[in-house]
Amino acid sequence: MNLKTKNATATLGLPLLAITAVVPLVVKDAYTLHSLTMIIYFAYMASAWNFVCGYVGQMSLGHSVFAGVSGYVTVLLFTGTGLSPWGGMLLGGCMAAVLSTFIGYPTFKLKGPYFTLTTIAFAEIVRIWLENTDEFMGIPLKGAQGLVVPPSPLGWQVFQFDGKVAYYYIALALLIVMLAATIALERSRLGYYLKAIRGDRNGAEALGINPTRYSLVALSISAFMTGLGGAFYAQFFRYINPERNMGLDLSIDTAIMSIVGGQGTVLGPVLGALILHPLAELTRSYLGGRFLGLHLIIYGVVLIVAVLYFPKGVIVPLERWLQRSGKSKR
Amino acid sequence: MSRKILEVKSISKRFGGLQAVSNLSFDIAEGEILGLLGPNGAGKTTAFNLIAGFFQADEGEIKFEGKQIRGMLPYQICRAGIARTFQLSKPFGGLSALENIMVGAFAREKSRPAARDEACAVLDFLGMADKADIDANDLTAFDKRKLELGRALATRPRLLLMDEVVAGATPSEAGEMVDLVKRVRNRGVTILIVEHVMKVIMGLSDRVIVMEQGQLIANGVPAEVVRMPSVLKAYFGEGYVSGGEYVSASA
Repeated sequence: MNLKTKNATATLGLPLLAITAVVPLVVKDAYTLHSLTMIIYFAYMASAWNFVCGYVGQMSLGHSVFAGVSGYVTVLLFTGTGLSPWGGMLLGGCMAAVLSTFIGYPTFKLKGPYFTLTTIAFAEIVRIWLENTDEFMGIPLKGAQGLVVPPSPLGWQVFQFDGKVAYYYIALALLIVMLAATIALERSRLGYYLKAIRGDRNGAEALGINPTRYSLVALSISAFMTGLGGAFYAQFFRYINPERNMGLDLSIDTAIMSIVGGQGTVLGPVLGALILHPLAELTRSYLGGRFLGLHLIIYGVVLIVAVLYFPKGVIVPLERWLQRSGKSKR
Repeated sequence: MSRKILEVKSISKRFGGLQAVSNLSFDIAEGEILGLLGPNGAGKTTAFNLIAGFFQADEGEIKFEGKQIRGMLPYQICRAGIARTFQLSKPFGGLSALENIMVGAFAREKSRPAARDEACAVLDFLGMADKADIDANDLTAFDKRKLELGRALATRPRLLLMDEVVAGATPSEAGEMVDLVKRVRNRGVTILIVEHVMKVIMGLSDRVIVMEQGQLIANGVPAEVVRMPSVLKAYFGEGYVSGGEYVSASA
């Protein structure tokens, strides 16, 4: 990361972080807190997607499978063995990472749309199988019906809290870890290698880079992080089903937020979530009842405008503006 | 006679019905600049890609410093000590000139500060120190070409394969590049250079080999090779072989 972008990331990110950290002290309304938590959750998921796809330049539309698998692992271990969801979350993340290498090894050899189509196929196969399987080797998966997280005495141990504030801060902590990982990536050999693979795969190979290996490392980290997010989501709603936690919608949402905000940057995905999730929420709540489907049309129009005018993401003109105003002050 | 750094023995490569390289053998001595010549479609670039690992030879042996490298993948060949440049240089967009070279330097240096120091030294060597922070995509075509050479050099190769280094360059740029290649050799790097521009090859190479239709047809000192009838025939056709005047015109 060169000095200029580092400054822009700091001038944009630090105030945003400070505001986000104090919001629950001011805002007490449960609905607002819930919505804000969802924005943070999506910012986290988009950042996790960006960690591999944004930097290596391959678009996965199957990331939801990592969230779903990890969510199911967490809930099933809690109901089956009583394992704390915190442990389940880590185990689920690891399972997602292992799964990702199985998916990534054959697919990273493919380019462009073929890679994307294969990731969709993998995720959809798992989702459809899960929707139609009530029991697998004695494990009650309950098909399309989904699983409910059984209520227990509240507390950290069981990842169940009164009100929304605790969930808000957990999501925020996840996001901070994710952004720190992305900043570390930007400064590491891996980050340079991924950008080189994105720029020119053959050129990268000629410089001693094994593209599949480094893409897989990034993918497994991304899948692990996406898995943590999936487990969080399951705990937050205390309910999980294949459609919501593993569906194509989730994959597309995270990808689009990252692309609109600016893929391959630290704060782009956060910005994307900050713009698109409230937009989707507001249009749905104000227009969803009266004009069926109108909220999707508006969402679609905003997407088209964003991609047309900011093809590299909204973050790009914003950072340029910040740099310019930073310079004029000096 | 100095040690052979690369030995190519009877390699062949077939693409469907086309025998691109057939039974090609040659070697390169340590510290040498070897020019690889041939008319369009002679199989130069294929031979080049076979050595660099981008294509796999159907048969034959390729030995680098005595070790078999045939069957190795491009990134393994780079790690073994062979770097290459491409006919069309595509810098890694979104990275500055310095960062592009750092990607190459990471092949030998694991830490970022060490890679950065190495890349700075390479930029100095190229005379591009003032362009370190420019996005590589915004460089001129010739600077992109030099940058690509720098990326390859940063991997600290002992053998450098260069594909058409002066394609599209102005005469003064070509002169600068020739100079640069000589300085690279003076750093102890052996060079195999594929080139169309006769003037460049003549001024640069210690020795040239000529390919036609996948086969080696000449091997020798540049001034002698361009007078060989087989070479003239390959370049200009049957009718020109008898007349000696065209030789001086082309050289």
